[in-house]
Amino acid sequence: MATAEEAGFSRAADRLGIAQPLLSRRVKTLEEYFGGPLFDRSRRQIETTELGVLLLPYARDVLDRAQRLRQVARSARRSRVRAVGVPADCAPAALARALRAGTEHGVTLGIRELPPPERESGLADGSLGYALVRTAPEQAAFQVPLGLASAPVPDGTATRRTLHLEELRPRRGRGAGRAAPPPLLLLTEDQVPYFEDRLARAAARAGLPEERIRPAGPAATALAETLAGHALLLCAEPFARQHGAHWTPLADHALHRGYDVRAAPGRDGTAAAPDWLAALLASAVGAVPHRGGPGPAAGREDAPARLAARG
Amino acid sequence: MSAAHHPVYTGGDAALSAVAEAIAEDWAAVGVRGSFLARNLDTGEQLGFDADEPVPLASVAKVPLALVVLDRIAAGELDAARPVTVDPRTSSVGPTGLAAFRHPATVAVGDLLLLMLSVSDNAAADALFDLVPAAETDARLRAWGCEGIRVRHRMNHLYECAAGAAGNDFSLALELAVRDEGTGRHTIETLDPAHANAGTAAALVGLLQRVWRDEISTPSTTAELRRLMGHQVFTQRLAGELRADTLRWSGKTGTFLHLRHEIGVVEADSGDRVAMAALTRATRRAGLAPDIDQAIGAAGRDAFEALRS
Repeated sequence: MATAEEAGFSRAADRLGIAQPLLSRRVKTLEEYFGGPLFDRSRRQIETTELGVLLLPYARDVLDRAQRLRQVARSARRSRVRAVGVPADCAPAALARALRAGTEHGVTLGIRELPPPERESGLADGSLGYALVRTAPEQAAFQVPLGLASAPVPDGTATRRTLHLEELRPRRGRGAGRAAPPPLLLLTEDQVPYFEDRLARAAARAGLPEERIRPAGPAATALAETLAGHALLLCAEPFARQHGAHWTPLADHALHRGYDVRAAPGRDGTAAAPDWLAALLASAVGAVPHRGGPGPAAGREDAPARLAARG
Repeated sequence: MSAAHHPVYTGGDAALSAVAEAIAEDWAAVGVRGSFLARNLDTGEQLGFDADEPVPLASVAKVPLALVVLDRIAAGELDAARPVTVDPRTSSVGPTGLAAFRHPATVAVGDLLLLMLSVSDNAAADALFDLVPAAETDARLRAWGCEGIRVRHRMNHLYECAAGAAGNDFSLALELAVRDEGTGRHTIETLDPAHANAGTAAALVGLLQRVWRDEISTPSTTAELRRLMGHQVFTQRLAGELRADTLRWSGKTGTFLHLRHEIGVVEADSGDRVAMAALTRATRRAGLAPDIDQAIGAAGRDAFEALRS
C-alpha cells in the first residue's frame, strides 16, 4: 500500500522504516501469492498495475482491521485485574501502596477482603491471583504478633510487655462474688483449624476452661464488648490501637499469626508472587521482621508418675 | 454432647434440689461434669445428681480395699504388724509414699494402710492387693451387699493402661481420655466403668454411711478406717471449704488424667454428720485445674450447710 501511495520502493521503505530490498522481497511474495504483478517496474517511476489498483481498497481494509485488533488487545491487557485476597482490617495506606506499585509494574490489582479459607480456595479456583494465606507462624514467611485487646487503661498505669495465658486464671480469695471471667473472643481471621486447636490446647494447659474461648461474631460488637471491659479480643496491635483499646502481645510466639503470600498456580503449575507485592502485603497486614528464638515449648519429659493414679 | 446432658437430681425437697442444681451448673461452668451425692447420716436427707452412674474410681478404690484388709485383720487372718518389703524395682508407679521411694523399705501392714489412705500411696496399695487380691476384695464387697462398687484390678493397672495407650506422654493420655468421654469406647481400659474399679456416688455414700454407723464388718474395723481417713493430707477438694476447728473432715481423693474425685464425711462439733461423694470427669485437657477442685469444694460446703440441722 505504501508503495502504491508513494509510487516508489525507496520512499515507501523510508516511510515503513524498513530496508528497500526487504520491501521488494515482500512485494514479490505478494505478487506470487496473487498470481500477477502489482506494480509496473518498466518505467522510471513505478506504476500500480490494474490488479494492484483493484486490490488496493481491500488491502486498506485488512490493515485497518489488524490495527484495531492490536489496539483492543493492548487495552484488554491494561484493564485485566488481578484480584488479591487479604485479611480484614489491613492498613489502607499500605494497600494503596500495593495498588500503585501494581500500576508501575503494569498490573492492575484489585483488593478483596476475605476470611482465611476463602483466600485459599480463591487461589485454587482462580478467582484470586494472589493471596495472603494463613500458615503456622514458625514456618511462615511473615509473622504478625497476636495479643489481647482490653479496655483502655488510664495513663501512667504500669503495663505489661507480654501476656502469658496462665495469667488469665481468676485469682482466688480477692474480691467477692463469682463474676464470670471475661471470655476470649476470636475474630474470623483466627478461626482457622490449626490455630483454634493450638490455642485451645495452650489455654487448657494454662488452666483456662476451653469454653472461655468464643467466636467474636461481628468485629464491631466484639470491640464494643472489649472496650467496655466485658471481653478480651484476640487481635493484632494496629487493629487494637486504631480503636483505642489497650493491647498486650501474647508471649507465646507459636500463637501469633503466620502468613505466606501465594499466587494462583499458573498453567505450568508454578506459583510465585512477585517480591515487591509480598513485601507490601506483609506491611499491610502488620507483619514484623522475622524473629528467631525458641519455637513452641518443647514437651517437657512427663514423669511416669503423672500417668499413675494420683491422690 | 456435654451440652445435651441433663442431670438427674436427687433432693428431699425443692430447696435441696435447688442446691443440687446450682452445684451442677457451677461444675458445668468450669468444664466438669459428674455425679454428686451428700447425705445427712442421721436424718437421711440428701441431695445430689446422677448418683447412680458408675464411674472409674481411681484412688477412691483404696477405701473399699482398706475396709476389706482391716476386716481380715479383725478376723485374725492377717496381722497388722506383719512386715512387708517394698522394692522400687518392682513396686507400683506413683508420686507419693513408697511409690516414690528409691530404696527398698519394710513397712507393717497396718502402716501400709496409713500410707495408702493418708498420701494415696500406690505402692502401699498394691502391696496390700498382693495380700488381699482384687477378686477377693470384690467378693467380700458382694457378700456385704455393697452393690454398685466393683474392685477389679491393682492400682498399677491404671498406669499400665495409660502408658500402654500413650507411651509416657501425659498430654496424649489426657487427650485420649477427654476425647473418649461419652463415646462409649475407651482407648485406656481403666477409664471404662465396665472394666475398671468402678462405683456410683450412691454406693460410695452408702458405704461411708455403714462405716460411720458401724453397720458393716466390726466396730473396731470401721473405727480404724475412720481414723485412717482422717489422716488424709490432701485438702484441695471437698475438704477445701470445710476447714475449721469446729469441723472434722475424713476423706479419700481420687485423681487420674481427667478424673477428680473425693468421698468422705464431715463431722461438726454440733454433732451434724454428712457423708458425700463427688465423682467428676473434666472436659478440659489440663493436668492441674485448681478451679475445678475449688468448684468441688464449694459443692461440699453448700451441701453440708443445706443438710445440717
